[in-house]
Amino acid sequence: MTTITIQVNGKQLATEPDKTILEVCRANDIEILTMCHLKGVMDVGACRLCLVEIEGINKLLSACTTKVAANMVIRTDTERIKKYQRITTELFFAERNHVCSVCVANGKCELQQLGYKVGMDHIRYPFLYPKCELDSSHAWYVIDHNRCIMCTRCVRVCNEVEGAHNWDVMNRGTQVRVISDFNSPWGESVTCTSCGKCVHACPTGAIWPKAIVQGQLEKKPGIINELVEKRKMKL
Amino acid sequence: MDNNEKRTIRISPVTRIEGHARITIQLDEKGEVENAQFHVNEFRGFEKFCEGRMYTEMPVITPRICGICPISHSIASVKACEMIQGLEPSYTGDLLRRLIHLGQNISSHALSFFHLSSPDFLLGYDSDPALRNIIGVAQKFPDIAKRGIRLRQFGQEISERITGKKIHIMGIAPGGMAFPLSEENRQALQVWIPEAKMTVQTGISIIKKYMEENKEMVESFANSPSLYMGMVGPDGEGELYDGKLRFIDEEGNILQDQLDPARYLEFIAERSVEWSFLKYPYYRPLGFEKGFYRVGPLARLNVASRMKTTLAQQEFLEFKKIGNGKPVHGTFYFHYARLIEALCNVEEAEQLLANPAITSNDIQTHGRWNHPEGIGCCEAPRGTLFHHYKTDPSGKLISVNLLIATGQNNPSMNRSITEVARQYVKGSDVKEGMLNRVESAIRCYDPCLSCSTHAMGQMPMQVEVVDAEGKILYQVERG
Repeated sequence: MTTITIQVNGKQLATEPDKTILEVCRANDIEILTMCHLKGVMDVGACRLCLVEIEGINKLLSACTTKVAANMVIRTDTERIKKYQRITTELFFAERNHVCSVCVANGKCELQQLGYKVGMDHIRYPFLYPKCELDSSHAWYVIDHNRCIMCTRCVRVCNEVEGAHNWDVMNRGTQVRVISDFNSPWGESVTCTSCGKCVHACPTGAIWPKAIVQGQLEKKPGIINELVEKRKMKL
Repeated sequence: MDNNEKRTIRISPVTRIEGHARITIQLDEKGEVENAQFHVNEFRGFEKFCEGRMYTEMPVITPRICGICPISHSIASVKACEMIQGLEPSYTGDLLRRLIHLGQNISSHALSFFHLSSPDFLLGYDSDPALRNIIGVAQKFPDIAKRGIRLRQFGQEISERITGKKIHIMGIAPGGMAFPLSEENRQALQVWIPEAKMTVQTGISIIKKYMEENKEMVESFANSPSLYMGMVGPDGEGELYDGKLRFIDEEGNILQDQLDPARYLEFIAERSVEWSFLKYPYYRPLGFEKGFYRVGPLARLNVASRMKTTLAQQEFLEFKKIGNGKPVHGTFYFHYARLIEALCNVEEAEQLLANPAITSNDIQTHGRWNHPEGIGCCEAPRGTLFHHYKTDPSGKLISVNLLIATGQNNPSMNRSITEVARQYVKGSDVKEGMLNRVESAIRCYDPCLSCSTHAMGQMPMQVEVVDAEGKILYQVERG
């Protein structure tokens, strides 16, 4: 096994070359903020929260999709990065209709926690207030596009882990939406197996079980990776 | 804004409470008060923007209507949800909800009496407006002010000890509660009971002393008769959380009894007026104006045959003597009624806390969408509250109707301020004391719109005196 050395925030780290910067940093207790990363499914670099500075490269790169290389000098804690994290977080809130006080995920939401972490005390961008629908056609679950941040964790877990590919994405820019099958009501989906993995993968209150009210939501994103690891085991 | 525009806005299904009020007093050619109108010119829109949401979200969304009575909204809402699910709450879940509701009522009544109204009784209606507030009371009567503040704290602590939050709590769920009450927290709440009882009794002695010393004013203060509606238990006892409705007429005759709240539309109708976002509800069988009724503590005591608890029952019998067996119409008696009710609430909370089942973990039953429509009702501190939801087969709301206590008192509030204005306003020479008396007529009802200024004990209010040609002669603003 080859071992390479990289430097993160002035600290020398020994690692393997096929790892991502995010994996190496997390293994060494270096905090990197993420929203779209979900252990167990492929990374897509969608949320742009895990941007890092790499010496010799002018632009910021996403830690979840960039592999480490020998002698790479990385910084995760500069003022520039913090500024971008704050901007990104504010844009999440400004883009859709997030009302934490009445949200089913209040107190259990990764986006809410992110707001606290980056010190978001106000939002500097005009709210778009898009008209988003709530799809309650499924017998057990609800998807509320008002609270979706387009992390696509539900899309990937449905495709890669469950193998159903009920969820996908349509349109671009502010019109982008997660869709069920070919943009039909979730309850009419022919591919959905009602497994509930998307509920656990969703970092906000966008997908939740119908019978649950605020204070009762328990999402377990960790079970996705557990499933993946268990499937790798040879009996 | 022309009339057409006004009509367009008014037609919208809106919830219209809290915030700012405006009073217009209309004078005739002789300078006498012809009419007075109480305007609520806020637009909230809850009924509209809740359409399209899941019905299970309503026990969390609707409490945001009000920071004083959020639990009543949550409870009316959760009952509507349970009707949709065809579900009965668990025994302990029901007890906990009842306890939280009592806590809110105690807290709200303490706020209304000690923080907002007691400055008038302890310092005087014509005292310096700069000191006529809870701060002024704290300076002159520090013990009373402290007790009042602590009584409110007790009410809120009930919510906090069960759900972790004092105001906009979470955890009131269809089928019961999401959180249990621990033994430690039960004991911590029990410690409060003796002090809470004593504080309410102090309040009762203050109001009784004032009523005795100002008999003429108290009896003549906005005392026109009206119908009353309130919730009662199976034996006609006063009930806040879960009961049936009773209507009585001006003479105390029972018009309707043990009426299922789900039938409210058969008995209550609403009409819009041009000059306010608050609608005019009335008792449908008697029609508009004749059917104006009042809700709230005074109404609840007027309709009740008895109180549930010992000390409150003793006060209730004294209260009944005021009307010689007939309903008590004087608006001022709202304060007295409120305190009798608070006493009953503290005693009932004591009984609930002594029930061993209250700390059980069997707090919730579960169900799914079964019926398209749900109606929930409870007694909020200011009166009977209805939540009415219609859903599509997936549980998404297609129609929301909220009938709120302040709205039901609206016709009577207008009538009361007209009476008070006629009594105290002469010509265009408006004194500050007059403004305070008109304001206090509104304060008797403790409407939700005063939420915005509870901290300072004053409502942001504007009084206009208008002559027969519509010209504004005098204008006083507050807030």
